[in-house]
Order: sequence, then C-alpha cells, then structure tokens
Amino acid sequence: MFDNISKTLFFKTLRYACNQCYVCRNKTTMKVIQPMTDVPFIEIEDLYFSRGDHEIFRGINMTIPRGKVTAIMGPSGTGKTTLLKLIGGQLTPDRGRVRIDGQDVHRLSRKALFTLRKRMGMLFQSGALFSDLDVYENVAFPLRVHTNLPDPMVRDLVMLKLQAVGLRGARNLSPAELSGGMARRVALARAVALDPELILYDEPFVGQDPISMGVLVQLIKRLNQALALTSVIVSHDIKETLSIADYLYLIADGQVVAYGTPHTLDANQDPRVSQFIHGEPDGPVPFHYPAETFYRDILGQASAVKAR
Amino acid sequence: MQSNIKYSAARIARLGRKGCDTMESLGRAGIFLAQSAVGVPSREGWSLWLRQMHFVGVLSLAIVLVSGLFIGMVLALQGYTILVDFGAEQALGQMVALSLLRELAPVVAALLFAGRAGSALTAEIGLMKATEQLTSMEMIGVDPLRRVVAPRLWAGFVSLPILTIGFSVVGIWGGYLVGVEWLGVFEGSYWSNMQASVSFINDIGNGIIKSLVFALVVTWIAVFQGYDLVPTSEGISRATTRTVVYSSLAVLGLDFVLTAVMFGGL
Ligand SMILES: Nc1ncnc2c1ncn2[C@@H]1O[C@H](COP(=O)(O)OP(=O)(O)OP(=O)(O)O)[C@@H](O)[C@H]1O
Ligand SMILES: [Mg+2]
Repeated sequence: MFDNISKTLFFKTLRYACNQCYVCRNKTTMKVIQPMTDVPFIEIEDLYFSRGDHEIFRGINMTIPRGKVTAIMGPSGTGKTTLLKLIGGQLTPDRGRVRIDGQDVHRLSRKALFTLRKRMGMLFQSGALFSDLDVYENVAFPLRVHTNLPDPMVRDLVMLKLQAVGLRGARNLSPAELSGGMARRVALARAVALDPELILYDEPFVGQDPISMGVLVQLIKRLNQALALTSVIVSHDIKETLSIADYLYLIADGQVVAYGTPHTLDANQDPRVSQFIHGEPDGPVPFHYPAETFYRDILGQASAVKAR
Repeated sequence: MQSNIKYSAARIARLGRKGCDTMESLGRAGIFLAQSAVGVPSREGWSLWLRQMHFVGVLSLAIVLVSGLFIGMVLALQGYTILVDFGAEQALGQMVALSLLRELAPVVAALLFAGRAGSALTAEIGLMKATEQLTSMEMIGVDPLRRVVAPRLWAGFVSLPILTIGFSVVGIWGGYLVGVEWLGVFEGSYWSNMQASVSFINDIGNGIIKSLVFALVVTWIAVFQGYDLVPTSEGISRATTRTVVYSSLAVLGLDFVLTAVMFGGL
C-alpha cells in the first residue's frame, strides 16, 4: 500500500520517536551501532570552481564519512555555501568531481539527480521557506510530494518535527510572520522532514539565542545518532560546532588547510589553524577579500599625483 | 585611422556577441518551454493549475470585461458617425462584431493580460528565485519547472482565450447599448446583420486561434523572464518591464503576421 519512502520513513520515525522520550534519551546504550571504520559517503576529488575571474576553489579534496558529523569551517566568503551547492549539484565545477554514495553528482541525468536529492536535506543560509505556504505546509511539503502517507500521519510527522525545533505553536503562521531565527528553525524542520540520509546544514546556529542554540545542537547530534545520518555542518560557532563534530575541515583561500578530529585540530601547531580555532584577528588567514593593497587604494590618487 | 578601424572592429565584435547572446537566450527559452510544458498532470498538478487559473484568469476578469465594454461602446459611437453618412447605420452590428472578433478582442485582451497577469507572473517567479525558494525546491527533489512554472504556463494558455471570448461578448453588448439604446439604430438590423455576416470558422475561429497564439507567447515570455532573471531587486524590476514590453511587441507583430495569413489572402 505504501511506497518505499513511506515505509522507511515510518520505521525511522519510530526509532526517532523512541529516542525522543526520556527513557531512551538518557540510555547511552540505545545508540544505533555505528560502523567502526569510516565508510566514505561523499568524496570530493580535485575540485576547481571559479566565478568570473575569482577562483573560489583550487583543488579541494575531501572525504565525508557516512554516519558522522563533519564540520566545514573557514573565513567568511571562502566558499562554504558554494561548496554545499556543488555537493547538491546546483553548481557545476570547472574540474574535478563530487561523488555521493558512489554516484558522480555532475554526471547524473536531471531525473537521477532529483532522485538522489530525495535522499538529502539542505538547510539554506537564508531559510528559503515557501512564501505561499504556512509553517505547517512548509514542513509537510517534502512529505506530500514524495510519499503517499495519509493526512493524519503527515500531521503527526510534522508535529514531531515542529516540536523538535520548538515551534509547534507557530504552525499556522506564514513565513512573513516569523523572525529570522524562527524561520531558520522551520527550515531545519523541513530539511529533516523526510529523514534523509544526508543533511547539509548551512549555518544552522545563526541568529539563535543561547537556549535554542543548545536545543539545536542537541537536535543535530540526536538526529545523527538515532538515524545514523551523515551530517555536514557549515558554521562559525566554533564552540558549538566542535562539541558535536566528529571531523572538521578548515578551508581557506580555495584549499583545505587542515583536517582532523576536533581534538587533533585543537593541538594543531599550524598558525593558520590556531588563528581560526582561537579566533585571533591577526595572522596568516586573510580577513579581507582579495584586493589591491589598502595603501594603494586609499592613497592611490595622491601617490599618482606625487609621482607626476 | 588605425584607431578608427579598431573602433569599428570592436563594434562589430560587440554586435556579434549580442547576436550570440540573443540566440542563446532564445534557445534557453525554447528548452525551458519544452521542459515545463510536458509532463503528465497529476491530481496535485490539477489543483495547482486551478489555483493559478484563479490568480491569472479570474483576477484579470474585471479589467478585461470593463475594457471590453468601453471598447465596444467607442466602436459603436465611431462607427455610427461614419456609417450614418452613407445611410448604412443598419450595418453597425456587423462592423462592431467583426472588428471585435477578428482584431480588437484578441489583441487588446492580450495586451491587458500582459500588463495585469504577465508582469505579476514574472515578479512572483523572480521573487521566488531571489529568495532561493526555487533552489530549495530543487534540493527537496521537486522540479520547479513542473511545480511552479508548468501550472502558470498552462493557466495563462487556457485563460487568455476565455478572457478574449468574454471581451468580445461584453464589447458587442456595449455596442448594442450605444448603438441601439442610445443612438437609435433598429434593434432587429443590429442583430440580424451581425448574424448574417459573422462566420463561425472564419471570424470566431480565427480570433480564437489568434488569442491562443498570443496566450502562449505572453505567458511564455512572462514565466521565462521570471525564471531567467538576475536574482536581485533590480533584476526583478527590469524583468517585469521586459515582460510587458516584449509581450506587447510580440502580440502586435504576430497580429500583423496572423492577419496577413488569415484574412490577407496570403
Ligand atoms: N551569485 C554569485 N555570483 C558571483 N559571485 C558569487 C556569487 N555567490 C557567491 N559569490 C562569491 O563566491 C565567494 C564564496 O561565497 P560563499 O557564499 O560560498 O561564501 P561563504 O564561505 O559561504 O561565506 P559566509 O561564511 O559569509 O556565508 C564569495 O567571494 C562571493 O563573492
Ligand atoms: Mg555561506
């Protein structure tokens, strides 16, 4: 009677709901058995990408293991959002390739790409809620288009997700009536509505107060453990990210500058890494968008006059 | 001298590039139309289409009908003053009906539709693109061409011919109001002359074919401009303007071609 997505969704939800209640949540033994060795889920090989003359990536290599939380960090404007879009197949690289679960994302047909995307969720930096649907319908949208679950079941699933982000009471509001932080939490609920195998979070903690930040951190961790999801988090909140990430990539200047577990990175002596991890303003990681020297820009005309 | 040559070479190059760009965007528009127009409408597709029929069609009804009324009334007034000189005011019904059915209803309704519904379609789709709604729909695994564009395209394609028929009907009635009720043309000759001279296939049929062509072109331009725009507020405003300008020009140009083919003996 139900299609495959509905069936797996049902069992996943059972497991999820089970992990939500207090009995299981506090039992550490409840964790799903995780594979001991890391199986790669996403493999990025020698990726080049540029926008106009601006080279954003110059040969990125990454492996994102299945069932783990991998964080990607880097200075603003280095292309973390761009990287997520390359993984999702919205942008096409100039060179190199991205493989998800063995499939080359950029060689797939349009149809195969859309099938692959049913297995992933993405939280957009801007939220990107559908403005013609209310909160409830936004979260229900993936369920309605990809499953044939009956309405009461859709309702229960939506309520579960909204409860998890603390917005069950806001279900009848329209996206225009939400604050920025609320909209992002609704977007998060929508991204996990189908319990995808892979979730890409673009800055999930931006604009959250300390309480909802803590809740979100726990939520991401729990989703990852209960459902053995592969999660990729882009974030600037070092403390929160380090607390849930299994692995961490640091990208700057179009390349991966460091890779490791939070523990090894903390001890990393590379000045670029420690500058970023400890948030020091001065150091080898550039804070500025590539430009002429400041001196030339400000005094350019004056010096030109003087030269004459 | 040399700089002159260089200058003209640069101009030619620019012209060439512009030509290539135009061809490329025409090609993109063609692929876009093919990708969004096909596809089996699901049950959900029907309800999306009905929703768009409301926004695109029903909400344009008022402006189209009111304009139709005024145009019919003006036609009767102008026609009467000319016809009465020849003592031919009995042919008023024929004149009003033929000009409406063949020309004015398809063209004016299409122009109004471009201004009322076309620009709204462009702005709506453009705003969805600018706020990443289309991208996030793609990431959920739903093709926005099917879900967002196709229902709007079909709604426009279906509703403009219906609006055109409404325009003609109201226009003929407006002509009756002015001609018969006000200027005193004999009611029997108004209707019977009309009945005798209007041919169903040649006049009504060709008018509907015209409006089907206009419907396709106007909605196509509108949704494509929305889908293809630069996702900024400036991009949206430019695309909305382009929709109205391009559709109006396309409608008037195509009208000449179609008229030449249908009535000009080409
Ligand atoms: N649509 C676009 N057109 C041209 N350049 C773009 C576009 N979007 C992004 N860029 C450029 O790509 C680079 C990377 O942008 P991206 O949004 O990926 O950065 P980010 O690492 O996500 O930054 P942040 O941490 O601030 O979100 C930036 O330098 C930006 O100038
Ligand atoms: Mg970003």
